[in-house]
Amino acid sequence: MTGRIGSIVVCVVFVALMLALPHMVRPYYVGLATKMIIFALFAMSLDLLLGYTGLASLGHAAFFGVAAYAVALLILRAGVGGWIAFPAALVASTVTGALVAVLALRARGSYFLMITFALAQVVWSVAFGWRSFTNGDDGMPGVARPNFGWSLEGTDAFYYFVLAVVGCAALLLLAIVKSPFGRALRGIRESETRMQALGYDVWRYQFVAFVLAASFAGLAGALYAYFNRFVGPEYLHVIQSAEALIMVILGGAGTLVGPAIGAALIVFLEDYVSSLTQHWLLVLGSIYVLVTLFAPRGLVGLIVDYRQRRFEP
Amino acid sequence: MIWVIHVLNGIAIGMLLFLLAAGLSLIFGLMKILNLTHGSFYLVGGYIGLTVMQRTGSFALALLAAAAAIALLGAVIERFVLRRFHLDELPQTLLTFGFLFIFADLSLWIWGGDPVMVRQPRILAGSLPMGDYGYPIYRLFLIAVGLVVAGALWWFQEHTRLGTMLRAGVDDAEIARALGIDVSLLFTLIFAVGAALAALGGVLAAPILSLYPGADFDALILAFVVVIVGGLGSLKGALVGALLVGLLDDFGKAFFPQFALFTVFVPMAFILVVRPTGLFGRR
Amino acid sequence: MTTTKTIPFGMTIAPYAATSLARRRVLRSIATAGAVALTLGAPGLAAQADDTIKIGILLPLSGNFAPNGQQALTGMKMYFDEIGNTAAGHKLELIVEDTQGKPDVGVTKARKEVERDGAQVLTGVVSSGVALAVNDYSRENKVPLVLSGDAGADELTMPGPLTNPYLIRTSQNGRSVSAPAADWAYKKGWRKVTIIGSDYAGGVDTNHAFAQAFCALGGKVIQEQWPPIGTSDFGPYLTNLDRTADAVVTFEPGADGLRFGQQFSEFGLKGKLPVLDIYGTIVYEPNLPQLGDGALGIYSSLFYAAMLKTPENDRFVAELKKRTGNLPSNEGPNGYTGARAIADAITAVKGDLTDTMKFMAALKAVKFPSPKGDLSLDKYGQVIQSMFIREVQKVDGQLANVPIATYANIDQFWPFTEAEFAEYKYSYKELKGSLTDCGKLLAKK
Repeated sequence: MTGRIGSIVVCVVFVALMLALPHMVRPYYVGLATKMIIFALFAMSLDLLLGYTGLASLGHAAFFGVAAYAVALLILRAGVGGWIAFPAALVASTVTGALVAVLALRARGSYFLMITFALAQVVWSVAFGWRSFTNGDDGMPGVARPNFGWSLEGTDAFYYFVLAVVGCAALLLLAIVKSPFGRALRGIRESETRMQALGYDVWRYQFVAFVLAASFAGLAGALYAYFNRFVGPEYLHVIQSAEALIMVILGGAGTLVGPAIGAALIVFLEDYVSSLTQHWLLVLGSIYVLVTLFAPRGLVGLIVDYRQRRFEP
Repeated sequence: MIWVIHVLNGIAIGMLLFLLAAGLSLIFGLMKILNLTHGSFYLVGGYIGLTVMQRTGSFALALLAAAAAIALLGAVIERFVLRRFHLDELPQTLLTFGFLFIFADLSLWIWGGDPVMVRQPRILAGSLPMGDYGYPIYRLFLIAVGLVVAGALWWFQEHTRLGTMLRAGVDDAEIARALGIDVSLLFTLIFAVGAALAALGGVLAAPILSLYPGADFDALILAFVVVIVGGLGSLKGALVGALLVGLLDDFGKAFFPQFALFTVFVPMAFILVVRPTGLFGRR
Repeated sequence: MTTTKTIPFGMTIAPYAATSLARRRVLRSIATAGAVALTLGAPGLAAQADDTIKIGILLPLSGNFAPNGQQALTGMKMYFDEIGNTAAGHKLELIVEDTQGKPDVGVTKARKEVERDGAQVLTGVVSSGVALAVNDYSRENKVPLVLSGDAGADELTMPGPLTNPYLIRTSQNGRSVSAPAADWAYKKGWRKVTIIGSDYAGGVDTNHAFAQAFCALGGKVIQEQWPPIGTSDFGPYLTNLDRTADAVVTFEPGADGLRFGQQFSEFGLKGKLPVLDIYGTIVYEPNLPQLGDGALGIYSSLFYAAMLKTPENDRFVAELKKRTGNLPSNEGPNGYTGARAIADAITAVKGDLTDTMKFMAALKAVKFPSPKGDLSLDKYGQVIQSMFIREVQKVDGQLANVPIATYANIDQFWPFTEAEFAEYKYSYKELKGSLTDCGKLLAKK
């Protein structure tokens, strides 16, 4: 079937492009691509929560940031190496996710949104205020990249590392959403009461989804800490959570690939726009408004609609 | 005497918080919209008040102008943008978020980045001697204003037809509509009133807390803390929550300075664990 | 709990995207678009060689530090315009990027300026957090960095783990602004002071230096309070002030300074306690008209005063006033001075920046009269300049910071020599909370 062959061709071309990138563009752009991939993971993790489970969180950056801080603290304060810091960061974000989930899942809708926002702010205020521990506003510079045999200090080497890690994570996420668990999540998104009636322990599914989303966000956060070699409270700020949200919506919630594209786009736009003008916030806010008004199903939605219409008589 | 001053301080700041939170709470209670643009209403309202003050020298006019302008802005946003997503919570929230960013940037553009303070009206400047200390008269004025506004809102809610309609709308919008209450108009009105309250908060706060880029986010977060503690949709909750947060913040800073930033979040975290809908919230 | 069903946002796409056919189509469109973009873009992303010398400027142009960044940029541009944007026969191109006051953005922009745009020297930086991050970048990538903004973290230019041979700083460091103030305070007759310092590295740094120098002379800090950065309401701290002190010494940056000044008067403390404002953040020029007469008599210490009467400064103030309509504070003169240091060094190496160490040597050797006075650098690349104690007075009906005392040749270790300074046992980080303990402050190794 041409469709299947076509999609394989697409995958191969895409992967080839990603692998060849460092040889095609200057190091600055390889760095930018690395950042795009990291945020693609962050956005996909939020998509698991929002797009597939139907829970809109305004505090997703908390898990992103907690993992980043875990990496920095372990490396800088405890002198621990990458083999320990990396997994420890994942544990940290997972545990934080579990704690937040327990508190936030007692509510729904706007209450849920507000509580996730508020709890993320609490985490932010700890990072910002506990100066002796986290250095507060100044952040923690000097995070050395892990050495798993090869040095990752070089831009290209780190790019491939991130590509590999995120690639695996993306495949894992894909497997999760295609599994019976993923289908159950989608059912819960459509109607909690119906699923409850069918005998599903809705809370448990939502809890697991939340924790998984937090873990993947943590993975992205740890990678970001290594990428920047620096960690600061901005990683936990509501603006970071808001950017993740718009990445998901812009790309198209519930598609996994949409949020990845949304992330790449937002990262690219921010880089591009902030060189031209200091009014990035204006642009970001406008994207929010325009996407919500005119493209609520995101870019993927627009493309699907367009192709649908092309084939309609 | 020092205790009295700390208590007064807590109440004064609490009153500012009340003005901020009351609007947010009212809007949510009736329309179930989490209005993130609320921070912008505070800041832009404050800036408008500043400009009016600079041109006319009248604080009263500044208050009036800011409240009116922001009420209009709020009404327009509600009527023409938010209304489209009736009952669809996430898009409404995203829109208000988008506006928050847009207004943040625009106000930086228009009023610049230097922090500014509105000049206190002369009759309110100066301090009341209290033993060895002096307490700013302006802060006493804030307490008075807060009480008046709280009283006015309560009276409106309990003793006017509009207030009854509001309460009906909060309880059950569909039935209210069935009973012939023009819920749409009510929505716009309440949104405008909520916005105006935030703007008043901005102008009243400007002489002591100053206006600066980022004040919108700071105000929004504080408003959130108050409504989480007090409960969404409840005026009583907003008042009690605001006073509680104000007092805890002041005493916290004074006696536990190393935890200065957390004193605001501690009551919030506590409430979230013990009673997620807030002290006076409705499920 | 709302009884109306919330339609999950964007969920209607599910029936479509769930079909792998639609998904494949989407992926195909995007992949082709991406491939086209990259192949078209790649050649355009190649570097262009030029005779122009590119200077990468990193400043906060949005966010909380925006006004500081803007002033600094104006100062820089003023100098470069004065020399016709040329040095040693080479055209100078300024690349300006907004750090937003955030370290990760700062490093990204630094990378952009150097790797994408070909900047050969970086300059600017207002936020200490950004400075620390960009310092790391400069050291690792051997890119000359001329810090000319507010970022005054002491350890950047002191011997230690952060030492960077590719760094010079022409602005100031925290210690050097507050230690002379301690000397002046003691000579004024003050023996007991209460400190209100902003709780962040800069604040702790600065106040520690004051306390240490003050103790060394025989004075004592009797109370220390640390409002977090961004405090709106100083009520609790002002109420807690120990009234038996001879003066209150403060370091409250940015908007905090304005609020502190206002609330100080508000609480009836004006006239009851003299105020010594380290770094002049309360009496920052844009704040003075807002504080009004409540600001009269406030003392401050800074490396600059707009009222300084030198030919250099008169020219500078006139030009800045023409460009912005305001009197200069600290960022303008700093930006101007940093720009001159770069230009002078470029001239010294005849426009050839390929030998980075030679360029660094030229940078460290700069010496010239600037709007802030005579200036040179020590062996670590840190500026040696004058400090001024100023008092807010009415000049021609306007409030201004008038210099009332001058301390010349202040280097980063003043009043100690480098060797003496190294003997002190505790670093400022360890001393927060112990500023009232002279014994600990002066303890030697």
